[in-house]
Amino acid sequence: MQTSESFSFKRMSNGQRFFTLLKYAVLIFLVMMIIGPIIMVVLAGMRTNGEFQSRPFDIPRGEIQWGNFTGILESDTFWVAARNSFYITAAVTIINLSLASMLAFAFSRLTFFGKGIIFNILSFGLLFPTVVAILPIFLQIRDLGLINNLWGVIFPMVAFGLPGSVIILRSFFIAIPNELEDASYIDGCSTFGFFRFILMPISRPALMAVATLNVVGAWNEYFLPLLILNDPNKWPLPLGIMQFQGQYGTDWARVMAYVGILMVPAIIFYLFTERFIVTGLTGGELKG
Amino acid sequence: MSAMNLKAISQAYQQSVPNRTRRTIRKTLVASVFVLPGMVVFFVFLLLPMIESAQFGFYKWDGLGPLEDYRGLDNYKKAFDHDVFQTAIINSFRIMGLSLIIQLPVAMLLALMVGRGNLPGRRVFRLLLFLPYVFSEVITALIWRYVMHPTDGLLNWFLGHSVPGYDNVGWLAEKDVVIYSVFIVLTWKYFGFYMILYMAGLQGVPKDLEDAARVDGANIVQVLSRITLPMMGSTVRLTVFLSVLGAFQQFVLVWVLTGGGPVNASQIMGTYIYKFGIKSFNLGYGAAVALILFSITLVFSIGYQRMILHQDFASDVSL
Amino acid sequence: MKVLRSLLILALLLGAIGGLATTSAQDQVTITWWHITTAEDQAALWQQLADEYMAANPNVTVEITILENEAFKERLVTVMQAGDPPDVFQSWGGGVLWKYADAGLVRNIAPELEGEWRDTFSAQGALEMFGKNGEYYGVPWDWGAVGIWYNKDLFAAAGLDPENPPTTWTDFLAAVQALKDSGVTPIAIGQGDKWPGHFWYVYLAVRLGGEKAFVDAYNRDGAFTDDPFVEAGAKLQELTALEPFAEGFLGRNYGDSQTQMVNQEAAMELMGQWAPGAYAGTDAELAAQLNLGLMPFPMIEGGAGNPTDAFGGGNGFAVGANAEDEVVDFLRYITSAEAQSLIAPVFGAVPTVAAAESAITDPNLQLIMKLRNEAPYAQMYYDQFLPPAVATAVLDAVDGLFAGTLSPEDAAAMIEDAAMFELE
Repeated sequence: MQTSESFSFKRMSNGQRFFTLLKYAVLIFLVMMIIGPIIMVVLAGMRTNGEFQSRPFDIPRGEIQWGNFTGILESDTFWVAARNSFYITAAVTIINLSLASMLAFAFSRLTFFGKGIIFNILSFGLLFPTVVAILPIFLQIRDLGLINNLWGVIFPMVAFGLPGSVIILRSFFIAIPNELEDASYIDGCSTFGFFRFILMPISRPALMAVATLNVVGAWNEYFLPLLILNDPNKWPLPLGIMQFQGQYGTDWARVMAYVGILMVPAIIFYLFTERFIVTGLTGGELKG
Repeated sequence: MSAMNLKAISQAYQQSVPNRTRRTIRKTLVASVFVLPGMVVFFVFLLLPMIESAQFGFYKWDGLGPLEDYRGLDNYKKAFDHDVFQTAIINSFRIMGLSLIIQLPVAMLLALMVGRGNLPGRRVFRLLLFLPYVFSEVITALIWRYVMHPTDGLLNWFLGHSVPGYDNVGWLAEKDVVIYSVFIVLTWKYFGFYMILYMAGLQGVPKDLEDAARVDGANIVQVLSRITLPMMGSTVRLTVFLSVLGAFQQFVLVWVLTGGGPVNASQIMGTYIYKFGIKSFNLGYGAAVALILFSITLVFSIGYQRMILHQDFASDVSL
Repeated sequence: MKVLRSLLILALLLGAIGGLATTSAQDQVTITWWHITTAEDQAALWQQLADEYMAANPNVTVEITILENEAFKERLVTVMQAGDPPDVFQSWGGGVLWKYADAGLVRNIAPELEGEWRDTFSAQGALEMFGKNGEYYGVPWDWGAVGIWYNKDLFAAAGLDPENPPTTWTDFLAAVQALKDSGVTPIAIGQGDKWPGHFWYVYLAVRLGGEKAFVDAYNRDGAFTDDPFVEAGAKLQELTALEPFAEGFLGRNYGDSQTQMVNQEAAMELMGQWAPGAYAGTDAELAAQLNLGLMPFPMIEGGAGNPTDAFGGGNGFAVGANAEDEVVDFLRYITSAEAQSLIAPVFGAVPTVAAAESAITDPNLQLIMKLRNEAPYAQMYYDQFLPPAVATAVLDAVDGLFAGTLSPEDAAAMIEDAAMFELE
């Protein structure tokens, strides 16, 4: 842990005590607001659809419907979809992070012809609504022969995520002192060496933050797989929710159970990356 | 392309070209290794399709069959005459303004409270606060349709039990309320995104500097305003940029939550394009409105980069 | 080298065999079939029909893709724009299908349909929604009518005769008031989804203007600002003035209105033939306790429409432009009396061919079938029949009528604006 001094309520002055209590009050209030809907999801998964429909927020009054969860976890299609989701998420995150960090490095630390223009063109990706460009994107993927292929989902998702990732990473790369770069070049480091062995490790908090954002985005992506993948055996998890939605009605209890299961891997990944985000190497808090 | 190849190429150049040009070329070559792979993916899968769809905006086209009914600026005129379009623009600006004055400060406050320091339980708080971001936009909207249910919803239940004399609010049913309800849901979903950026940014603020100031007698507010926030300047400027652009590009969550209703009261730019462009088989019109949206955000983007982000990276942003 | 050469020869040989194999299998036909039936038992029935067909026709492979309703629409539109329609796909007929037809994306099956196959259909009006100008692009397999589903117990509790529901608009409004006085919500509606409200508006327009008003407006011999359409808005606001809906109905969705009916909190719902199935899907136990009746939409005194004109729609399958002849044959099989008799009970569907009508035993569904078959004029949902941009305007205009933000005149003008632009 990065604690530089241990916490002790006793040693505090009255002002500090009040301040700490205020912090807790604010946090607890906000956390309650935030997790209310999530508790609703979990409880809904434990009840029947009828119970949920008539009282969306309620504790299970009858028998707890574990079947909503186990039914999903026991189906083969769930695990096939989980594997596809894993592949897509891993590929998107790794490729996006690699390409984005290289671009961000070039835009923040190198000088080259056309830099301003190229950066502005990249930022167009945040300015134009992609929903309008869906047809040309689909045609592009088809012309490249990537329909019904996981790469046909992965590459567009990488492209969609690049502008955001680059802009975030660039702003973090710029905050790194120039002295560090100068020193490494004096020590005989090449541009590539500086990028790989100095900049990357030192930017771990930012890289992990961007990785987390990417993982969440890729894990939840629904629209591209729907358009690109014909074969149900290639579908990722978010498409699985469709099986509970009918033309005239939806089995909300099952949907909520599915959503509850879906969030677990993303939470685990966040818990893994969080320690890197919060325990940055640049902050001088190297303990633990 | 490997670094080895590049070295060979640049060596070949060194024999023929004068020194200064040579250095420029070498620099450009090195840069291209970093820039090309990403830009190629971006160009093929996003930029090219975007440019293609931009030209639809000058045609009356339902998306089927050939693109041939050229109408010049008709689509643009139609948009500016449409009162719902005006509602959509105003609502997008509302969402933007509210995000800047509420969403970002809340995210910053939370990042400061739990993003570092020694508050017991901060890890648990961090996790709980980040949870909403884990849900997809569709799911978030579906969940909140039930939270904001007019009679059986969690929100009315909670307020009814904690506020004396509270009368149920039709969060998604009243046209004067709905856009604020939309904002509440957007905030719920996205503040975790900004919180995580602030947490990462906070790591760049040296703790000893703040400690030294505290030892010198500065109070917590002074430390924050004189040291912590200025040192996080680049992160704050970044989040303002992303937040403004994000507000204008919002779409899925609002569409599933309200469909822009009731009576188009919660229409924003993204849902407007979808409803009156894509879903109505008016791809040409949708593209025209998308171009208007693009122009608005482009002006902001260039202005912001020149005037604000400028200080983060000296002279390297220009068109 | 020797090894390499023998490998090469082997490869060539294998290639030749492979080539032979593909030539002999050239009669193999793969049918891609997209349907939106996600419920397990119903999807299994489609699969069973496909399997039976494949067993009888060994050269045919049917590949099924199941997509949820909204997802299906999003994906279909994209593949259509890209020019790659599936062979057989869910369709509701009307304006969207005709748009695809104009762009040459669906196959004209009139040559196969005309004659014997066509004569098997009892829902002839429904068939017309799948074609125009003598061409046909698909067939309906479930077609009904919209009516007012009502809770007989709640009617009785409000002092109304559950076996003789109101038949005129005046009596209907009186019944709404009586229900309201008895403490229940008279009408369940999920106006957040927009289409439920348009059912009310269209039925009023059908009763007030009949076939002529709509056909004239559609063909541009008349307009959507003509009297019957303005009057329909006014009648609708007579109803909304009684505040017969649940609190926050503008933000509730169709799922909510089902729940209100199932929980017996609301007495009536204007809905199609799928309503009982949807109630059972919400909560089978509670739905079984419902004492459900069905009344035809009341007649409006002085209206130009025929009291037996019916408004409704249903489900069908359309045929993609690149479909082989086998696809049409497969479709014929789906609408055969045997297949339809299997489908009806499992789906709660109303069969479209006469020979399968005996599969319907539920008295309410029998009534729907009667309404459908005997209607002198069958009005399809505006939001399916009209071009999508006009449909959007209709839904928005009706939403404004329900919210009270639009006057009947303004609402009519809003629809007419879009119609002028889109209808030629």
